Amino acid sequence: MNTENQVPERWKELSYHLGPVVKHAPLSEHKEFNVKRFQLLMAFCALSLGLSYAQEVREVTFWTSHGEPDLIAIRHIVENFNAENPDINVRLVQIPPGANVETDVTRLMTAVRGGTGPDVYMLDRFIVAQRAADGLLQDLTPYMGGEDVLAGHLEFARNEATFGGLPYALPFDTDARALYYNIDMLEEAGVDVSELDPANGPISLARLQEIAAQVDQKNAQGNYERMGFIPWFEQGWHYTYGFAYGGDFYDDASCQVTPTNENVVAAFQYIYDYAAAAGPQEVQAFRQAFTRPDLPPQQNPFIAQQLAMIITGDWMLGNMERYAPDVNYGVTHIPAAEEGGESVTWAGGWSMVMPQGAKEPEAAFEFMKYIAGEPGQRVYTEETQHLPTVSSLLDDESIFTEEHLFFKDLLPTARSRPPLPVGALYWDELTAAWEKVYLNQEEPLTALEQVAARVQPQLDPFCSQLQAEN
Amino acid sequence: MSWLRSPLERRKLLLGLLFISPWIVGFLAFTVYPVLYTLRISFTRYSGFGEPMWVGLANYKALWTDTVFWQSLQNTLYYTALAVPIGVVVAMLMALAMNQPLREVSLYRAALYLPSVLPLFAVSFIFIALLDPNRGIFNQLMVALGLPNINWFGDPRYAKLGLVLLAQFGAGNTALVFLAGLKAIPKTLYEAAVLDGAGPVRRFWSVTLPLMTPVILYSLILGLSLGLQVFAQAYIITNGGPANATNFYVFYLYNQAFRYSSMGAASAMAWVLFIITLLLSLLIFRTSRRWVNYETVA
Repeated sequence: MNTENQVPERWKELSYHLGPVVKHAPLSEHKEFNVKRFQLLMAFCALSLGLSYAQEVREVTFWTSHGEPDLIAIRHIVENFNAENPDINVRLVQIPPGANVETDVTRLMTAVRGGTGPDVYMLDRFIVAQRAADGLLQDLTPYMGGEDVLAGHLEFARNEATFGGLPYALPFDTDARALYYNIDMLEEAGVDVSELDPANGPISLARLQEIAAQVDQKNAQGNYERMGFIPWFEQGWHYTYGFAYGGDFYDDASCQVTPTNENVVAAFQYIYDYAAAAGPQEVQAFRQAFTRPDLPPQQNPFIAQQLAMIITGDWMLGNMERYAPDVNYGVTHIPAAEEGGESVTWAGGWSMVMPQGAKEPEAAFEFMKYIAGEPGQRVYTEETQHLPTVSSLLDDESIFTEEHLFFKDLLPTARSRPPLPVGALYWDELTAAWEKVYLNQEEPLTALEQVAARVQPQLDPFCSQLQAEN
Repeated sequence: MSWLRSPLERRKLLLGLLFISPWIVGFLAFTVYPVLYTLRISFTRYSGFGEPMWVGLANYKALWTDTVFWQSLQNTLYYTALAVPIGVVVAMLMALAMNQPLREVSLYRAALYLPSVLPLFAVSFIFIALLDPNRGIFNQLMVALGLPNINWFGDPRYAKLGLVLLAQFGAGNTALVFLAGLKAIPKTLYEAAVLDGAGPVRRFWSVTLPLMTPVILYSLILGLSLGLQVFAQAYIITNGGPANATNFYVFYLYNQAFRYSSMGAASAMAWVLFIITLLLSLLIFRTSRRWVNYETVA
């Protein structure tokens, strides 16, 4: 495309520089002068050739909102790519994340509209469908050259990366959620931690609540000083409990979001009751100190040993290693809804997308293939303890630490969020309902009915479009 | 328009226009055009990319049944109704303090004005620390005084009040305007009042306040327009939460546009807000005839 057009342009420039030489050379009376001039022109030509060679290094701008420690690994991948591809220079730019890391792409949208967008952007994969539907992303088919680049990736990740049957993203990583528990804190509170051994399978959510209550401590003013567990902290999302209760959030056959699915409602009810027992405002006050927007990772209450149990992702392993090497902890299944029930987790992850208006699309795609392919994902898995989406890497056990293998084994049964063109709205609405429920402001069903009422009308136009196409 | 007839006048007008043309161009390109553009977009379904699709009044109709829209409007009116009047009182107190005939008054003026210089972003983070329910100085002070320990930004009942408190950090700007107003009140009026036996309180109510009413009107209108557009604090501190308690009008508008890709709905909201602001301003102007005193003594 652009690169092909540039070549004749450069040649034009070159012939312009050569022009005067041809013209003046035959004039013998100006011989001495012409030699000098010729030398000068030769130098000039060499310079322009050098410059045009430099221009051939294609600059690819790559934006990510990830911070440390993940950013360090991403930087390593970029450096490796640049070293291996002298004709492409990827420039890594860290953009500050928006208030909602999951759904905020304001900077990307405004930059793309202003013609100053990046060539590659790292996007939370579950909203790829939405941004593709918006027209913000490029269909990657033309760059694939007939090759099915998505073929080697896990199926759910492939689905999230596609919209309307077209590939809009290359999956970069995935993750799984589990229950982390602080062995020392639990033992101090008189809990026998052997029941949390993953070999025993998941405990029940009711049992989790009992254990947590044993750890809770309040000060003289009635404020929590340490807590056993906060169900709605970190990765304790609506989806986490909805899936644990066997709920479904979307029905593909009818093209309907189903937040009022009875199992989802039951999950929200568990949270409502948990909050009512623990005191919604008391928990909120305790939690407040750890949800500040500027909080560094080492001030996570689990790392600071103020919270004995937490549901979070495999990336926490890396954080623990880096910031809390002395904390004695274990990892087990997310508790099941019922005694003796199955453990359910869900997987998410990020992806590489190419926004509209990318200036070096071919080079950008080269880089996307690299970072989202085996070389990039290998480094990312080893350095950050995220899981790869490339199936072949999942078979290579050498890149996983022992704790990480536990998460890897959760993947085959892990669930994932429905990739909808209204994914961001759905997430935000579920979150608003979630907050109302854990603050005991609204009954679960009422809150979830509002979610359906607000999201479905936005989904409907896409449904009818889909129907028309079929 | 007889003055336009002379060639000299015409030349002068042209030259004048030429001198202010950078402003005119900027105003047309960056204010008038976007405003008209949003009006057009408000009748479409548009993600910001591709072609806008004409949907008539659908965006406006959807707002009518949108519960979050009404909640955001309610949040915003609640915030404005508290933050603006409290702001006027705080600014007035500050201006009176800044107007004391003391030798080191300039020092106090600087100290009182200083918080207004801080960017909102920095102030927001200061407030997160000050109003922290576990370690915040403000909360510890409240507990020491026997008052309840309020989780300002974590409790939906108090989150807006927390932001109203924060808004007072910027009262220094209004206080400066008030100070200028105070300086403009002729000393003779106070002398006459003293002769008539008026004490300091009486002088404030009967001389200062009536003559300050035009300045108060100005700050009310300005405060109203700024209050209805409250955004940054909620974006930085509470992210619209908890449970939509600080989901203000412009915050919701922003989400519509940039998170849910509904530029049409966002533009419709912008126009509705414009009309609300206009109506409220007109209301204040209407009532101002009864309480604003323009009769300053020359």
